[in-house]
Order: sequence, then C-alpha cells, then structure tokens
Amino acid sequence: MTGSAPGPVAGERFRALVPPLIDDAYTLAKWICRDPADAEDIVQEAALRALRALETTSVERPKAWFLAIVRNAAITWMARNRPKDVSYAGDAADLDALDPRLGEAAPDPEAALIALEDGERLRQAIAALPAALRETLVMRDVHGLSYRDIAEAIGAPVGTVMSRLARARGALAKMLKTEP
Amino acid sequence: MTDDPDDRILRLNAALDSELDAMSALEFERELASDPALAADYRRLEALRRAIRRSAPLEAAPPALADRVAALAPPSPRSTRVFPAPRRRLPAARPFALAASMAAIGLAVGAGVMSLRTQNAAQGVAQALVSDFAQAEIAGQPYAIASSDRHTVKPWLASRTTVSAAIVDLANQGFPLAGGRVAVVDRIPAPTLVYRHGEHMVAVTELPPDAQGVRGGGAIETVDGYHVARWSDANLAYVAVSDMDEKTLAEFVAAFREARKPTAEERR
Repeated sequence: MTGSAPGPVAGERFRALVPPLIDDAYTLAKWICRDPADAEDIVQEAALRALRALETTSVERPKAWFLAIVRNAAITWMARNRPKDVSYAGDAADLDALDPRLGEAAPDPEAALIALEDGERLRQAIAALPAALRETLVMRDVHGLSYRDIAEAIGAPVGTVMSRLARARGALAKMLKTEP
Repeated sequence: MTDDPDDRILRLNAALDSELDAMSALEFERELASDPALAADYRRLEALRRAIRRSAPLEAAPPALADRVAALAPPSPRSTRVFPAPRRRLPAARPFALAASMAAIGLAVGAGVMSLRTQNAAQGVAQALVSDFAQAEIAGQPYAIASSDRHTVKPWLASRTTVSAAIVDLANQGFPLAGGRVAVVDRIPAPTLVYRHGEHMVAVTELPPDAQGVRGGGAIETVDGYHVARWSDANLAYVAVSDMDEKTLAEFVAAFREARKPTAEERR
C-alpha cells in the first residue's frame, strides 16, 4: 500500500506509537546489520510495515511489538541485499558449540575491569558475536525486552532465548579476557 | 538445585534478568549466600551487563529518518483528538492576514479574536499534552532520550525542535532530570523535558510565548486525572503535565521558575 494514505485510525495509532520508539528501532537495526545507512532503510521499511499492520491491529506492548517488526524487517533486508552475510538459518550448530560458561575468573581481576571500561572494545566484541546471539543480547541488555518478548520477536522458544543469552554473555566475557 | 553446569549458568542469567519465578528467586538468593563461587560469577555477569549498558546505549536516530517516518502518517488537519487547536485557528487566520498590511488594525483584530478563543485553545493544548503524557507513560517511553545530563539532552532536542530548550537541573530540589522528548502541539514539535520525583514524572513542554492557549493564571488544573500547570516568562511559555499531586507540582513549578529566571543576556 505504498503511496496510499493510511486510514485515520492507523495513522493515529502510528503517531502515538512509532515516533517515540524511533531511537530504539534505529539502535536495534544498526546492531543487527552493523551499518548506519542500512539501519535507516530498515527502520523506514519497518515503520511502513507497522503502519500497514496498525490498520487492523491494536497493540498492547508497543516496544516489543515494534522491535519485533524491526528485527524481521532487518532479516528480510539482509537476505535481499546481503545474502552472504545472513547466518541466521545455518548457524544453529555453531551456536551450540559456543560455551555459555564464563570461563575461569581472570587471573588478573584488575585487567578484567579495565577491559570492561573500554567501551569501544566491548562494542567490537558485541559486533563480533554471531548474529543470532547478538540480536538476543541487544534486545535484552540494550532494549530491556523480556525473555518472552524476545522469544516472540525471533520466533523461538524461551529456552532458546535463555541459552543464546547465556552463550552471548559467556562469549563476551571470554573475548574481553583473552583479546589484547 | 542442579549440578549441570549449563543449567547453573542459565539460572544465573535468568536471575540477573529478574526472570526467575518467585520461588526460584528465593532459592537462588539462598544459594548465592552460601556459594561464594556462584556469587563471584554473579558479580562478574552483573559487571558485564553494566558495561554493556554503558557502552551500548540507545542511539538517537538521525533527524532526517525521524522526519521520513513521521511523514508516513502525517496528522490530518481535521483530526479532532490530538490536535484540536489548528481547527479553530484556520477560520481566524484569514481576517488576520487581510489586515496584515494595516498593522494596527491587524493587531487589534488579532488580539480580539485571540481573547475569544483563548479558553478553547487552552483546553486544546492542555488536552493534547495530557494525551501525549499518558501515551508516553503507557508506551513505557516517558522520554525519547534518557539522560540526566543536560548537555546530552539539549543538543538532542535542538536538532528536532525550533524552540530553544531551556534546560535546568533540579536534582538538588528533588526533581532530577530524567530525559527529553518532543511533543507535538499545533503540529509544531516542542521540546519537552521530563523530570522524575520518586515514582512520579513531570513533563515540561516549552512553547513560543505567542502559542495558542499557553497563557495560564498559575493555578493548577486537572485534566483526565493529570495535573497541569501553565506559566510563561519573558522568552517562553511552559506547560507542565504530571502525575504528581497538586502540591508537589506547585513546588516543582516554583523550583523550575526560580532556576529559569532569564539572564540579562537572554532578554536581549
């Protein structure tokens, strides 16, 4: 329905709901696709999808709802424009290989703390996580979504969310400890 | 509860995320108290999450993107619910424009029309801002940029609005700055500062002093169960909407006005 004006109800719902979440949407899209310009395209596409959906849907938990749309818009966008980069479907086995445990405590707790203080290094470590772990971690720790909301957004059981989150955090803890 | 290392770590994460049910949470607390290794792992996870939140904050969407998204569903000029004021203004705009070449007469006509409409327009602005406040609260997004640092909030607002936001910190008076967002009044984006007071919030929207219906007598009104205060100074008009009680809102307004006394430079 690109080009046609939204109905008055959808328009009103959209104005109440989407603009306040624009920063969340942009942040999540950027973490998923790791490119600011692509993130803008994804958010615009997600907003259009949201507007379409609001013709027939009213929404109880706007943030979880809209971020799920953003996530799915990002996945389709990546599949269309960067097919080589999409690893969502194929990496289940790789994920299982990732150990959720935090590893042994750092021999030098001081160094571990300093690593955490280094924001750039932590951002790089998050960006280096496998896509499925990264999106789960970001939805939880950046956007504060509940396990249930994340499970609905990614279309997986809560158990999967829990294990991906644990693996993501375990991997981060190790990366920060071992990398220079 | 279990010796499986995977289960243990999943539970550790769920506890950190407050996702354990009440019974499991209690049990976890007990284990935490009696198992130093578990407690140490928990502290490391906590530190990691704190660092993630600090290093990966919400990023402000580029203003051009926000504009493009807003343009997908522009408010209808006949919309009656959220923007009642422009509807009333339209018929009045013509006589004002006709008289514009004769400034004195134009002014007289304009002033007369304005005083007739003030009551309705005032209700419109208050209503629109109360809806805005309620929606922001319900959406769980009382502010679009969360920060207690006015040097962060100011540029964010400045990039999105036309009124220059006057940002004061009232933490010492018991109302710390929580963040900012943009409210739309009469289809004009207006900077809105959100302050916290315990569990309560107050949102102060800043408008041009000549905006419709912003002049208030200082009395606190109640609109849809929220309290609304209006005042203005030499530069700006202000509308505060809050879920605080009347007395606390009055204290907030007094503190805000005191802190915002325009400096000689600003009076220009």
